[in-house]
Amino acid sequence: MQSGFLNFYSGALSVLQSRADLIADNVANADTPNYKAVDLNFDSALAAQLTDPDTQAAPEYRADGVVGLNGNDVSLDSERVEAAANGQAMMGAATFLRQSTSDLLTALRPNAGGI
Amino acid sequence: MGIDIYSIVGSALDAQDARMGAIAANLANVDSITPPGGTPYRAHEVVFEAAPVAGGTAGGAAPDLGRPETWMPETGMPETGMPEMGVSVAGTVQSNAPPVQTYDPGNPYANAKGYVTGSNVSQVDEMVDLIDSSNSYAASVAVLQQSSPVDQQMLASFQVS
Repeated sequence: MQSGFLNFYSGALSVLQSRADLIADNVANADTPNYKAVDLNFDSALAAQLTDPDTQAAPEYRADGVVGLNGNDVSLDSERVEAAANGQAMMGAATFLRQSTSDLLTALRPNAGGI
Repeated sequence: MGIDIYSIVGSALDAQDARMGAIAANLANVDSITPPGGTPYRAHEVVFEAAPVAGGTAGGAAPDLGRPETWMPETGMPETGMPEMGVSVAGTVQSNAPPVQTYDPGNPYANAKGYVTGSNVSQVDEMVDLIDSSNSYAASVAVLQQSSPVDQQMLASFQVS
């Protein structure tokens, strides 16, 4: 069965999940000397994921951080904003996925009228 | 969200806890004195290191632990996604600040010139460090709390009714 939406949401959620992990990693390393914040480029990561589901996009450094005296450029505020935005995107994708699966189930069920 | 985020945040909370423990030990010893010839208490703080991230883009002087890329500490199962992430305590460093010398000739610990050797802990430094640490702790907890409703929604998405 070709269910394109499953592939799409699988890819999107997988990229969002990787981003959530990276953001958590950035927050965890907010006090690690010489650590530089990393993130995924969502567009290219999703495109790569949809072409080949086994691919794993390489994280990239954030370019906008201010490097502190200990060589760390994590900003807790911007990481929290990113985490919130990423969480909302996941919620959105999961909500759409839920609607799509329930539509699919409705289509698969036999007609209640018995026609 | 995956199990991964819990282990990452868990490692962060562990590390911040170790840091706050060091701060508490320093503050507790701020008034410690030593007899002449003894080693005065020296302030110490913990240093963190990052676990290596896939693609080797993580900063920091994370040592090569010699583990295969797909090694997973929790389950021992080969992992297709990211290798382990998080933070760990690399070690402790001691402050090189000179110990405080107080003139108190009546003190039994005073040296020949009447000075008592105290610790080199700076209360202000420790308090600032404590605020920073508890900020980071709070941010990690916020990431955890924020991931919880997403988890619920993900579970609901795959619920077939």
